Amino acid sequence: MSNTLEQKFVKDLEEHQNIVHKICKLYTNNQDAHNDLFQEISIQLWKAYPKFRGEAKFSTWMYRVSLNTAITLYRKSKRRIKTQDFETVVFKIESSEYDPTEEEQLRVLYEAIRQLSDIDKALVFLYLEEKNYKEIADTMGITEVNARVKMNRVKNKLRDILNP
Amino acid sequence: MDQLDLLRKDWKKQNADLPKLTSNELKKIIHKKSSSVVKWIFIISLLEFLLPIVLFLFVGADNINDRYRALGLYEFNLITTILMYAIAVVFMILFYLNYRKISAESSAKVLLTNIIRTRKTVKYYIWISLSMIPILVFVTAFQMLHAPEYAPIFKQYNIVIIWFIVSFIAVSMVGLGWLIYRLLYGILLKRLHKNYKELHDFKG
Repeated sequence: MSNTLEQKFVKDLEEHQNIVHKICKLYTNNQDAHNDLFQEISIQLWKAYPKFRGEAKFSTWMYRVSLNTAITLYRKSKRRIKTQDFETVVFKIESSEYDPTEEEQLRVLYEAIRQLSDIDKALVFLYLEEKNYKEIADTMGITEVNARVKMNRVKNKLRDILNP
Repeated sequence: MDQLDLLRKDWKKQNADLPKLTSNELKKIIHKKSSSVVKWIFIISLLEFLLPIVLFLFVGADNINDRYRALGLYEFNLITTILMYAIAVVFMILFYLNYRKISAESSAKVLLTNIIRTRKTVKYYIWISLSMIPILVFVTAFQMLHAPEYAPIFKQYNIVIIWFIVSFIAVSMVGLGWLIYRLLYGILLKRLHKNYKELHDFKG
């Protein structure tokens, strides 16, 4: 693939790398696994890039390829067992409105998300990224109505985990 | 406030804490080797296609052909070998056509469906290959029992025991082949099947 294409891709990836990092955070539980998944997603994005026609936004296309890699294509590496797991609070609150009750709630929430299935994690991720139900449905390959119902089920699952 | 709304509020704040890789680091990463499950499915499927072909090459070797000729099985062996190669070619074409449909740009459901369909092509091929084993074993055993060279040897034994042993050999070979295949299939597709089921069974 040409250098120009590579440069353009790397620039796009650099700009939107947060999307990939956030997916890695949801699907892995330590730094090695995070790096492995980040690498695999970047490779898959690069492999698919020549077919990206720019009909959709780069970020929308990126959500699809990245989530597909996390759900389907990624083979979990064994070496992640050797490293220490992330602290339970991965996403720390750096807010001036610090609220210990809220922080505890969030800690438990992130832990609860980790216990969800691969598909449910993808739904939660798209919801947190403020994607509408049509986009969620398109990315997952289900109908919009199913996406809504499924999202409600995920919310209920989370409630059940949080309030056993 | 809904618990997910609380998360949503917090979600945006994390951007600052995420790693920032430079374009040079990213450039190195994209040229590393992929360890995608699809790559492994492709390699293992190819090996599975080749294994029966290699075994048939062995069965079709010249010295074995002479024995088959003596048993009156030369034509039978020739036909089954040609049939086996034809089946392999048809399934390899089907496999390739299904494999080409696998794209990371599809929706999650379509991607999972296409991967599982590709593996199913291999599954049907393995079934057919394995079903050839008892046919070959039984036909060879039958001819040996009636061949002038071997018949006197077998006459010393109880015919029921001979057929029991023949059946045991055939079942063991099929069983072993199936077990190895299921093990490979399970390792490769366990997680994919779970996700596929979750997306497919969902009726709302």
